[in-house]
Amino acid sequence: MFNLLQLEWKKVKGYTTFRVLFLLYAILLPSMLLVIKRLPDVPSEFGSKDVFFMFPTVWNYLGYAGNWLVFFFLGFLAVLSISTEINNKTLRQNIITGLSRAEVFQAKVSYIVALSLAATLYYVLVAMLIGVFNTETIYMVKVWQEWDMIPRYFLMCLGYTSLGLLISLLVKRTGIALFLYLSYVMFIELIIRWAIHKNIVSNKSMHFYPMNAVEDLTPFPLLTTTSDVVKGVDFDILLTPNEAMLTTFVYIIIFWFLSYYILEKKSL
Amino acid sequence: MKILQINQLSKRYGTIKALDRLSLSVEKGNIFGLLGPNGSGKTTTLAIVLGILKQNSGSFEWFEGKYGDKARLRTGALLETPNFYPYLNADDNLDIIAHIKGVSDPNHDQILDLVSLQHRRKSNFSTYSLGMKQRLAIAAAMVGDPEVLIFDEPTNGLDPQGIADIRTIIKNIADQGKTIIMASHILDEVEKVCSHVAIIKNGVMLAQGNVGSIINDDITIEIASEDLFSLKNFLSDIPAISQVEQQSNKLILSVDPSFSAAELNQLAFQKGLILTHLVARSKSLETEFLEITKQ
Repeated sequence: MFNLLQLEWKKVKGYTTFRVLFLLYAILLPSMLLVIKRLPDVPSEFGSKDVFFMFPTVWNYLGYAGNWLVFFFLGFLAVLSISTEINNKTLRQNIITGLSRAEVFQAKVSYIVALSLAATLYYVLVAMLIGVFNTETIYMVKVWQEWDMIPRYFLMCLGYTSLGLLISLLVKRTGIALFLYLSYVMFIELIIRWAIHKNIVSNKSMHFYPMNAVEDLTPFPLLTTTSDVVKGVDFDILLTPNEAMLTTFVYIIIFWFLSYYILEKKSL
Repeated sequence: MKILQINQLSKRYGTIKALDRLSLSVEKGNIFGLLGPNGSGKTTTLAIVLGILKQNSGSFEWFEGKYGDKARLRTGALLETPNFYPYLNADDNLDIIAHIKGVSDPNHDQILDLVSLQHRRKSNFSTYSLGMKQRLAIAAAMVGDPEVLIFDEPTNGLDPQGIADIRTIIKNIADQGKTIIMASHILDEVEKVCSHVAIIKNGVMLAQGNVGSIINDDITIEIASEDLFSLKNFLSDIPAISQVEQQSNKLILSVDPSFSAAELNQLAFQKGLILTHLVARSKSLETEFLEITKQ
């Protein structure tokens, strides 16, 4: 497995798109949160802006910002680096050279796992730094109170990249694959959930969709307390963290299984 | 040792039969030419034995099954177009291939020398000309010193100099005693390079064997006479003539090489038949090929 990961590294280390997208993620993650410091103060009834930067809530706010960035940059990276390999026929050449199809699958999965791990470690680092510099009195209990955001963030990364993997294997053209990835996350799933599912069964089951679960892993923190704001829905608008984790986990396994199946059957 | 054994391989693309129960075998040390017109199933055959296409039925086996599904680590192949990472240079691209092949401490000097790409090894693949790409693909096939090399239309799209270069390279590789399987639609190429040949058309094997037996030694003699009818009757009594074919007012004969045109002329004269036309020539692979694929 490590050997295959090394192979993937040799492929992407000189790939400009890879560098640019990962660099953008790295720059934007702290920036998205820190830009709030430059905004005018919020009315006092909502409390102070400090919650964005303090332990323990910095985990949640940074996690929500990261959710958007991972959707764009890591998801794109997964789609692009696999799709271009199919279009350049280098994946085909890898097999001719001697990899088995199962090894190609393992290589790609280890690539997205490593990518997600790196993104998560960076999230932990940034959260720690912002927290340490913006919390007046640091109690270890407070620092780690939201520790479960770390596995949730990792699963979130893996959820987006696994969808990217599946779509890039499903659709040959890079542009269409990217467009489909974007549209599925932003529109298609929403339409299925709110326009179709809700009209058939209007209960919490409409939340158990892959990308909704991924989004609910690191939701906007205020939403967790203001569920009843949404009119016409008499059930929770969010999945609980545990529901979201389990749902995402199950979908990741399904995405991997389908990816493996496609790769085994595909003429490259 | 049998390097490759293909049994009754069939492949359909929708309703089109690309391969129809194709069988062939390649022995160690063969320079095996897979010859056929465009679209005859050469690339399909190679794509299946290289694991990137699934056959509908039939089977194949590399190295008598000795290495199982790891056999491709012992073959080097150029299939259709050269496929490399465009944003990496020659060295980095070859490193990736060496990594897959499990070559520890790869050194590409020798193979880059062989294909004369030393001076451009640090340029990105995307900046290469077609000929350079093709040469790099041949170098890539040589990484890890494989026992068998597979080249699919290796001179496709190259200029005459490029074609000559590639042929020299292939001959040099052959001189090292390696087994080579080469698909081509260019007869001249196969005739010049190969020891064995299989001719396929529409996915069907038409003939296979060593180049000598496929291109048999028969010579062709063209004759004509005022009285073609008597001439034909006369020819049927001569055992050295294996085939007689009429082409307008001429007869085309396949004749055993021990039998000469002079002898034929003399015999005809004794029978009172005056030949108005007499041309003898040895058969080329080209006419053989056209003859075989005409069926």
